[in-house]
Amino acid sequence: MGSRLIDLGLQPGTPPESWNITQPEKIKQIHLEYFSAGSDIVLTNTFGGSRLKLEAHGHGDKVKEYNTRAVELAKEICPPNGYIAGDIGPSGKFLPPVGSITEQELIESFIEQTTILAEADVDLFFIETMVDLKEAEIAVKAAKRVSNTPIFASITYKKTKRGFFTIMGNSIEQCSEVLEEAGADAIGANCTISSEEMVDLIPLIANSTDLPIIAKPNAGQPQLVEGKTIYLSKPDEFTRDIQQMIKNGATIVGGCCGSNPKFINEISNQIKREKK
Amino acid sequence: MVILIIEKEYKEAILNGNISLAESLASKAINDNLEINLVIDQFSEAIREAGDLFEEGEFFLPELMRSAEAMKAAMTILEPKIMENKEDRYLGKVVIGTIEGDIHDIGKTLVAAIMSAEGFEVFDLGADVPVDKFIDKAEEVGAQLICISALLTTTMVGQKRLIDNLKERKIRNKYKILIGGAPVSRKWVEEIGADGSAENAVSAVKLAKKLLE
Repeated sequence: MGSRLIDLGLQPGTPPESWNITQPEKIKQIHLEYFSAGSDIVLTNTFGGSRLKLEAHGHGDKVKEYNTRAVELAKEICPPNGYIAGDIGPSGKFLPPVGSITEQELIESFIEQTTILAEADVDLFFIETMVDLKEAEIAVKAAKRVSNTPIFASITYKKTKRGFFTIMGNSIEQCSEVLEEAGADAIGANCTISSEEMVDLIPLIANSTDLPIIAKPNAGQPQLVEGKTIYLSKPDEFTRDIQQMIKNGATIVGGCCGSNPKFINEISNQIKREKK
Repeated sequence: MVILIIEKEYKEAILNGNISLAESLASKAINDNLEINLVIDQFSEAIREAGDLFEEGEFFLPELMRSAEAMKAAMTILEPKIMENKEDRYLGKVVIGTIEGDIHDIGKTLVAAIMSAEGFEVFDLGADVPVDKFIDKAEEVGAQLICISALLTTTMVGQKRLIDNLKERKIRNKYKILIGGAPVSRKWVEEIGADGSAENAVSAVKLAKKLLE
């Protein structure tokens, strides 16, 4: 979503969620592109829709409006067999010692966002790009508290010499254990690492949980070439990596930053071909 | 032997993020009239090691932040001594922030924490900072160094805009400029006319010191 919004002219400094009000046709167009490309689930344009995140942009009073409208837009174009996931990203704030936000503030922010998304009747929650397991846990528990809607929870890992960890130092095993305990229905990884690296990560997640596994890597690392952002992965290479992840246990697959409907189309075609 | 034991304590204070130990070591150094520069070198050595451990995947963000806080606590105690002796340990003023449109805070915060720990006077403007705000603040406080972070290739262009803006105002030469962020390459540094960039927070601080020598 984010990469497509930038393609369509989203300017730095503008919260993407504001487009749910100012550019609703473009948001619907993006959702439609993904459903047409073969997506079963699309994520609402609410990644940064928590109060804590919107306040940082001075849009703290728009939480309800942005989140409600986001779900309505996705529903307007959703095919009968499609699903709408309420997207929930990190608050952008950190608990001590890194930052100074309190757990209570995080709880309130996520309760508010998940309540609005649940009232707008999303089919599931997609909590993603979490770099701090504690924040992920708080978000999952908030979602659990406000509704019975299924919860997908996805962590952002970085690859170190000692293996995969969040930037806060949470291991794969810790993440799986805590998220399961908190009530997640599917867990996995997204963002930052490329499909090539995620191929190595998925078996490790599979060893740590019996829940369905999410794999949503970046399309390579962003590069700036002649003033334009490009991601170096090509849809076919990306798809080959995704197929490997599926063999290794991933059941919910997709693309994060730098991917676009072409990547999803390639994955979808490949999966359908194999099913035949 | 005595020195070795002390070295170990400095390291322990910083690497364990032990603020009270760091403070008591700093106070003791003043009371015992130790050579302040040597004391600071010990702390610097330890914070560099914390940075290396972060790069190695042994330390993560919380550990590194605790180390930086412990060092800062020690430096705060040493500061009057540094000023009083007019030793050239006062490294200068730095304005730092993440450029507008970009809310990635982590890398920038680390650099700010270690700079401040090492003895720079740091003005951290936070994330999503407009170009004008960087420049106005630098002018206001009389900074020597401006550090601009950008984690997105879409916001990196703001780094160029800031430097262009300084040129237009004919004050480019008043400042050294460091740029940072995962997508920043040597080529980009040259293309926009920055003074440098570094692989990680510790080498960024090393470079900053070198530039201001």
